[in-house]
Amino acid sequence: MKLKKRIVLLLLTMNIALYATGCASAQATTQNIQTTSDIITQDREGNPITLPETIETIVSMGPSNTEILSALGMADKIIAADTYSTGIAGLAEDIPLFSMMELDGEQMIHLEPDIIFVTGMSKTDSNDPFQIVADTGICVVYIPSSTSIEGIKEDIRYLAKVMNASEKGTEILSEMEQEINAVAQIGSSITDRKSVYFEIAAAPGMYSFGSGVFLNEMLDIIGADNILADQESWMSVTDETILNQNPDVILTSVDYLDDPVADIMSRPGWETITAIQNNDVYYIDTDSSNRPSHHIITALKEMAKAVYPEYFE
Amino acid sequence: MKTKILLLTGISLLALLLGIALGSIRISPAEIGHIIGYQLFGLALPNQMKATTAAILWDVRLPRALLAFTAGAALSVSGTVMQSVMRNPLASSYTLGVSSGASLGACLVILFGGSLPFTANAALPVSGFVFGLLTIFLSLGFVKRLDGYMSNNTIILVGMVFSLFINSITTLLSFIERDHIERLLYWQMGSFSLKDWPAVWILVPVTLSGTIWITHYNRELDMMTFGEEQAMTMGVNLKTVKLLLLVLAAALTGASIAFCGVIGFVDLVAPHIIRKIFGASHRVVLPMSALFGGAFMVVCDLTARTVASPGELPVGAVTAMIGAPFFSYLYFKKTKKD
Repeated sequence: MKLKKRIVLLLLTMNIALYATGCASAQATTQNIQTTSDIITQDREGNPITLPETIETIVSMGPSNTEILSALGMADKIIAADTYSTGIAGLAEDIPLFSMMELDGEQMIHLEPDIIFVTGMSKTDSNDPFQIVADTGICVVYIPSSTSIEGIKEDIRYLAKVMNASEKGTEILSEMEQEINAVAQIGSSITDRKSVYFEIAAAPGMYSFGSGVFLNEMLDIIGADNILADQESWMSVTDETILNQNPDVILTSVDYLDDPVADIMSRPGWETITAIQNNDVYYIDTDSSNRPSHHIITALKEMAKAVYPEYFE
Repeated sequence: MKTKILLLTGISLLALLLGIALGSIRISPAEIGHIIGYQLFGLALPNQMKATTAAILWDVRLPRALLAFTAGAALSVSGTVMQSVMRNPLASSYTLGVSSGASLGACLVILFGGSLPFTANAALPVSGFVFGLLTIFLSLGFVKRLDGYMSNNTIILVGMVFSLFINSITTLLSFIERDHIERLLYWQMGSFSLKDWPAVWILVPVTLSGTIWITHYNRELDMMTFGEEQAMTMGVNLKTVKLLLLVLAAALTGASIAFCGVIGFVDLVAPHIIRKIFGASHRVVLPMSALFGGAFMVVCDLTARTVASPGELPVGAVTAMIGAPFFSYLYFKKTKKD
C-alpha cells in the first residue's frame, strides 16, 4: 500500500509538473523580448538569475535540455545529468546521473558546476528541491518543458544565448524550420485528411493528448486530425471514446511494452476500428516524440511517413 | 427480511443494467436491443448502425460491467469471510498479504515476462493469482510453526509482516527496473478497462462456485464469530474449517486481483454495511454481500469512466471516494438509532 501511495504521488507530481509547464509555456512569447536584449537576467520561468562570467561546467537535468546542449556542441562541458539523458550524443559515459525525482543535493553541490539547467519537473508548489543548491551560489536555471513548437524554438534560442553560442543556435533553428516547412507544405496540400489517435501510454490507463501539446501541432503539420483535438493538454482517454471516433490511423510512442503495435491490434472490440482493419498502426520513436527538443523533427518525419506513405517519401 | 432481500437484488440488477446502458458514448436502448439480438440470435443489425457502436457495447462495456460486478462480489464475500473468521472488523485478504503477493507476481511478469511460456495476456493474471495464493500459504505455514493453535492475532501479525516484506521486494524490483514502473503502477491501481470475454468466463464461475462453497459453511462461520472457544464446544472442527475458509477467501480475492488489479475498500466496507442491514446470519450475509459488492463496484466503475469523460479515473481511487462518505452515512446513522 505504501508503495502504491508513493507511486501515485509520484505520478501526480509528474502531472502537476506537466500542467505547470503548460501554464509556463504560455509565457513563452512574452519572454521573446527578454531574450532579444543583450543581458540575460531571467530564466525561462521568469525567475531572476545572474549568469556566471564563463560557463565551463554544466549539470543538465532533463533530457530535452541535454539534447539541445549537445546540439550546441556543449556536451563535453556537461559533468552530470539526469538518468534519462544517458545515450545522448557527445555525453561522456562516466558522468554521474541523478534521478529526476530523488535529487542528491549533496553530490550536486560537491560537483561545483557553474550552472544547472533544470526542467521544473522535480518541483512542487511549496518545495523547490534545487533551492538548497541555489543557496550555495550555484546558478540554477529553470527551463520548463515546452508544450508548443514555438516554445521549443524559444528554449533553443535561450540556451544558445546563455551558452554564448547564438550562431550555432540559429543554425539549429533554421534547419528545424526548413524541415518543418518542407513537411508542412505537403501536409497543407492534403485535402483528404486522415484522423489519428496517438497513444503515449498503453491500456490500462491509456494516455494521449488534445490541443496545446506540440504533438498535436505536429499532427496538424503533417495534414492529419487528432481525434482528441477538441480536448486540452495531456489526458487520459477511454476505449469507448476511441472506438466512437474510429480513427483512420493509430500511432503509439509506448516503449515499455515488447510490442506496442501488437498490443493495440489485439484489444477486444478494436477490430472494428478502421486503423486496425487496414493495419494502419505504427510505432513512433519514443524519445524524439516525447521530448521537447529539436529532435521532434525525427518524430515529425516518422509520423508523416506512417500516416501518408503516398505523400511523404 | 424478505422484502429487504428482494429490494437489494432489484437494486443490484438495476445497477448492472445501468452499467451496461451508460457510458461516455450514448447508445440508445433500441440500439442496445439490436446489438444484443445480433450477438445472441444472429439478427441483422440496422444498416445505419456503425460497427464500432456494436463493438463499444458488446466488446467493451458488457464484459467490463460484468467483470466489475463479479470482482466486487468476489472481494466482498472474501472480506466477509476474513472478518468473521478472524473476528476482526479490519481483517481482509489484503492484510494477509494476498495483494502484495499478487503485486509481486505481476511485477515479475511485467519486468521479466518476455521469456514466459504463456501468451502475454494470460501470464499476468496467472502469475498474480499464483503468487497471491502462495503468499497466504507461506504465511499460514509460518503461523502453524509459530503457534499450534493458529490464533487470529498471530495470523494477522504474520500476514502483515509477510505483506510488508513482499511489498519491499516489489518496491526494490520496480525501483531497479524503472522503465516499467508505469505499467506496474496502473496494474496496481486496478482497472476494468479493455478486458476481454475470456476474463469474464473465468472469473464468473470461479466467483460463483467459491461463494457457494463458502456459503455451505455458513453455520460454522456463525459460530466462529462467537469466538473460538464457543465454536469448539459446539463441536466445530475449527482448524480445518478455518484454514479452508481462509484459503477460499484468499482465492476469491486472488482471482479478482489477477484480472482487475488491486482494488481496495469494497472488501472492507460491504460486509459491515450488509451486517448492519441484514443482521449476522451468514446464510443471508454472504450472498447479500456479493450482490451489494457487485452493484457497488459497477457504480464505481461507471463513475470512473464517465465523470472525467473522455478520460478515465482509476477505479481504485473511486471506490473509496464514493464508498467512504456512503459508509459513514449508513454506519453512523444506524448506530444512532440502535
